[in-house]
Amino acid sequence: MTDRELIASWVLEPGTGKAIELKRGQILRVEQIEGGQCVDFNCFNLHDYKEYMHTGRTRTLHGLHPGKGHFMWSAPPRERALIYILEDTAQCNDVLFPRCSAHLYESVYGYRTHTNCHDIQAEAQREYGLTPDDVHDSFNLFMHTGVDAEGKPWIGRQRSKSGDHLDLLAIEDVLAVPNVCGADIMRTSNFSLKAVKLSVFKATEEDMSSVPPLTKLPSQRTPADFRVKQIKADRQLRRDTSYAPSFANVPIRISDLAVTLDDGEYALLQRCRIEDLYGDDDGAALRDIVFSWWAERFIPGA
Amino acid sequence: MTDHRVVLKLNQQQLELLDRTIAQGVAADRASLVRLALREYAAAHRDEAPLSLASEKGAPE
Repeated sequence: MTDRELIASWVLEPGTGKAIELKRGQILRVEQIEGGQCVDFNCFNLHDYKEYMHTGRTRTLHGLHPGKGHFMWSAPPRERALIYILEDTAQCNDVLFPRCSAHLYESVYGYRTHTNCHDIQAEAQREYGLTPDDVHDSFNLFMHTGVDAEGKPWIGRQRSKSGDHLDLLAIEDVLAVPNVCGADIMRTSNFSLKAVKLSVFKATEEDMSSVPPLTKLPSQRTPADFRVKQIKADRQLRRDTSYAPSFANVPIRISDLAVTLDDGEYALLQRCRIEDLYGDDDGAALRDIVFSWWAERFIPGA
Repeated sequence: MTDHRVVLKLNQQQLELLDRTIAQGVAADRASLVRLALREYAAAHRDEAPLSLASEKGAPE
């Protein structure tokens, strides 16, 4: 987009990160200068830091490698879209691995001090009064990962080139915190740390109109819905003696539903049942089939 | 022809989902919905080997 208004730009040096106020309707471009550099990314609701981007929810909805056309979602119980990925030229992102940490480098590699994404994030976020405990798992831009046949995650070398970029459109006002990943002794950034370019643009009407429609559901709660509305300001956990549990749908009540199957249907049940899980429990095997069927029929992509 | 009586143990949330599905007109009642689910699931997985814990793939939640 050549007609976007440039608001600000920076070069993010290796070992550093930056907290950026990104208002709704603004785009943060994270761009390779040399190529081959992983960038960890966190974000918070600018007006309520307790709402923050959640890789778990994001990976559930968009898979292990989200990219163009996907959202970054906040954690339950908020579960709102905070960022929309407008562009992704390298298509090499990860939401499987957590941010690297000082402990990783000390325990595995023996470093007393080493660049690491947790501490870089913490230092960048400190500008806004956040503590190291407020860092959350990152959306890893330009990170090549996968899972092997045994279910073990792996990190590979990456092929991003100079000029490759992601355009991150703020759906809400956020504090966006990218950092140059500190991993120089892993394949993550091809064993070297490089600077990256950050630019903030004002989104065009065309940019905004490209965002898929979002629904607002009652389950997307806000602090107004919380029984405890104040943020704890002390570290010690103390029991509230007036506490009375109030969990939803408790007690869970079990009922019997009897179903009569003919010979043909019963044969289908025997063919489809997961034998080593349910043994001779026809009811449990059929319950599994019913809800598996429901997901396949009514959940897109299930 | 033999009738086979199978009893599913379902909680109130599971029943609610079945009832909402029935309300959409998918089936006439709970038992009919279960039988429909079985037939459709079996048809969709006709060519697959029997599932086992070791071979199953997780479904998105």
